[in-house]
Amino acid sequence: MFTQFLGNYLLRKGIVNQDQLFTAMSKLSQSHIKLGTIAISEGLMTANEVDECLYVQTRENKRFGEIAVDRGYLTDDQVSVLLSHQTPDYMLLGQILVDDGIFSYEELERIIFDYKNDSELYDLSLDIENQDAVQTILSKFFLIAEMQVTEHNIMYLELMFNSLIRFIGEDFTPLSPMVVDEFPITFGVSQAILGDREFISHIDCDRETAIAFASRYAKEDFTEFNEYTVAALEDFLNLHNGLYIVNVSNDTSKDIALEPPVVTEDGVLCGAEKCIVFPVAYPFGTVHLITCF
Amino acid sequence: MDITNKKILVCDDSILARKQLMDAVNEIATGATFIEGKNGAEAVEFYKNENPDIVFMDIVMPEKDGTEALAEIREYDNEATIIIVSSVGTQEQLKKAIKLGAKDFIQKPFEKNQIKEIIESRLGGQ
Repeated sequence: MFTQFLGNYLLRKGIVNQDQLFTAMSKLSQSHIKLGTIAISEGLMTANEVDECLYVQTRENKRFGEIAVDRGYLTDDQVSVLLSHQTPDYMLLGQILVDDGIFSYEELERIIFDYKNDSELYDLSLDIENQDAVQTILSKFFLIAEMQVTEHNIMYLELMFNSLIRFIGEDFTPLSPMVVDEFPITFGVSQAILGDREFISHIDCDRETAIAFASRYAKEDFTEFNEYTVAALEDFLNLHNGLYIVNVSNDTSKDIALEPPVVTEDGVLCGAEKCIVFPVAYPFGTVHLITCF
Repeated sequence: MDITNKKILVCDDSILARKQLMDAVNEIATGATFIEGKNGAEAVEFYKNENPDIVFMDIVMPEKDGTEALAEIREYDNEATIIIVSSVGTQEQLKKAIKLGAKDFIQKPFEKNQIKEIIESRLGGQ
């Protein structure tokens, strides 16, 4: 999930544009992390040292690790440890952007440093298991939208990002959220969550985006907007909300329920209080995930 | 596996979910006759009219939800084989479904293997 968070940061800060980011995101599944990237991530080599070794590698038929050891930047033991190390997934995105010429390793090193500062993750290494780090970053999303940060809000958003990764694909970037009184509907499906704390969840996008989203969800190649594409959006929202209420139920022993999803093709979405809009950009279009309280 | 003459009632308000379930059955068995229902009321009606061998039923549906339909069908036929397939897999829902007589509970998204096991164990030996 940190890859998506880093993508959001890079866009927000104007370090990359959407096209550059989508191009890099589309290469994630076919790319492998390089030893130099891991060494920077672990603070064992500077970006300049990595650049130097990469330059030497273009002139000598040697592995990166051998060159780094020859030059005294790493020991053999450190190379072994790095090769077996599980590197944070966001570093792969950084590496692809370096390979694409968007920025240098030196700039990547600074970007990651600034990103950790921006996200207040000074003492945390961003590995997959680091739940505190996930929650810290998710809290930021609510603060950007000037929303109250509650345990349930964070859980809902975390599950939403996980559902997107699991059912649609990891190549998305969460854009900055907004709090609005009303949201004009393009096309979408809504589902009410009933219980102590009721709210309406909604997924909204244009029809072309809906076709692509549905194709990924159903693992089918839909070419037109029809009842199957609509059903795919409903099923996605229903599955995501189902996971949410299972989690809430497990945590609090309170039973909450779902209403069947309904299609909304026009009009305005609003809640008794307000709506929070989480735009999520995929290469095929932007999907708005909205909750109205 | 040949399940010719077996009737399977698939009840879900999502046309895609019904298709995915029927595709999963068709991948492992041939000859099944499917009956599709879009809500709990249709599930009860079609069960009484068609007397299917097995029912796959969602919970969250319009008009009449899956647990109400489950209760009504079991009241009509206490031997009915009903499998709940739902995204709402809370302990509460699970207990309720089992208490009402559901034979199994599959959390969505289902794995094809889960459908295979159900079909083999419930229809294979008949």
